[in-house]
Amino acid sequence: MEHPSQPDGGGVQSARCRQCGESSGGELFCAHCGSLQRPATDYYVFFGLKRVLVLDTEDLQRKFYELSRRLHPDRFTWKSAIERQYSLEATAILNDGYRVLRDPLMRAEYVLKQEGFDIGEQRSKDVPPELLEEVFDLNMALEELRLGDEEAHGQIEEARNRFLAMRESIDKELETLYRRFDDTQDRGVLQQVRTVLNRRRYVRNLVNEVEKELAREGQPAQ
Amino acid sequence: MAYSNKVLDHYNNPRNVGALDKHDPQVGTGMVGAPECGDVMKLQVKVNPATGIIEDAKFKTFGCGSAIASSSLATEMLKGKTVDEALEIKNTVIVSELALPPVKIHCSVLAEDAIKAAIADYKKKNSVGNHAAAQVAQ
Repeated sequence: MEHPSQPDGGGVQSARCRQCGESSGGELFCAHCGSLQRPATDYYVFFGLKRVLVLDTEDLQRKFYELSRRLHPDRFTWKSAIERQYSLEATAILNDGYRVLRDPLMRAEYVLKQEGFDIGEQRSKDVPPELLEEVFDLNMALEELRLGDEEAHGQIEEARNRFLAMRESIDKELETLYRRFDDTQDRGVLQQVRTVLNRRRYVRNLVNEVEKELAREGQPAQ
Repeated sequence: MAYSNKVLDHYNNPRNVGALDKHDPQVGTGMVGAPECGDVMKLQVKVNPATGIIEDAKFKTFGCGSAIASSSLATEMLKGKTVDEALEIKNTVIVSELALPPVKIHCSVLAEDAIKAAIADYKKKNSVGNHAAAQVAQ
């Protein structure tokens, strides 16, 4: 499925260069005169990338470095006010976009948000009940271990390894879903991605809790 | 972040922490969670079937101080109320009682959801229970 239209300001505003009046070719730098155009706010469009969830991060990094160089403020000292303004906007999008796109989880959340999935406003009805039960039980077990004696240490380490294994299998599951979305562009897959991301968030919290506990144990007794 | 004294009080001395027997037909259990922060909250009510009054309420919450305080306060508010009165409890009451800042309002929403889930569970169990009893009587 093709995406019929970018959200407002997502794509390149005008294919005609403000500077020379010729067609800019939709590029960040005019294909005709090389002057900087108004940057696209959509991170994928900005980096000239296809909107995929499995991204070649080395390629992304190369593009980041190249654009960083081309957008360096020193290059715009003698340019027009509008180009200086665009260069500031472009630099901000460059840095934010790189931070988001290089991280597989933030990248997926970005695409979910673009597709109209509300990330911040979810309520418990979006979480499968059996997951809540599972997370609750794991938290209970952790708490019991924490209240226990020194022998609990081994069990806590065991719990950490179990959570890390869970996180690893979730990441594999995500990878599979990402590939499926890239192949099909199916919204239903994104729905699944969101569910698995929620699950991962819970497991991440559990890992953090266990690691906090292990760090606390490592401290000398008060 | 600065917590209000009321949040701190409930956080340091949470009321009604614990569990009721979830298989007891008089007990309704609500389990809810907030995916964005990873909190999970279990809230239970024990209802007198003759009067419809909530005689006991317990909770256990894994989450931030505001989530713990919200559910602790919720259990206090539930006791002595009828099931229908309990459904009237709004998260805004919890917000003002605990002076929760805007970023923590979702904690009170979670507590309201937990109350509703617990009562829905009780009602579901009860109609099913009556139904089964009626079948046995026939």
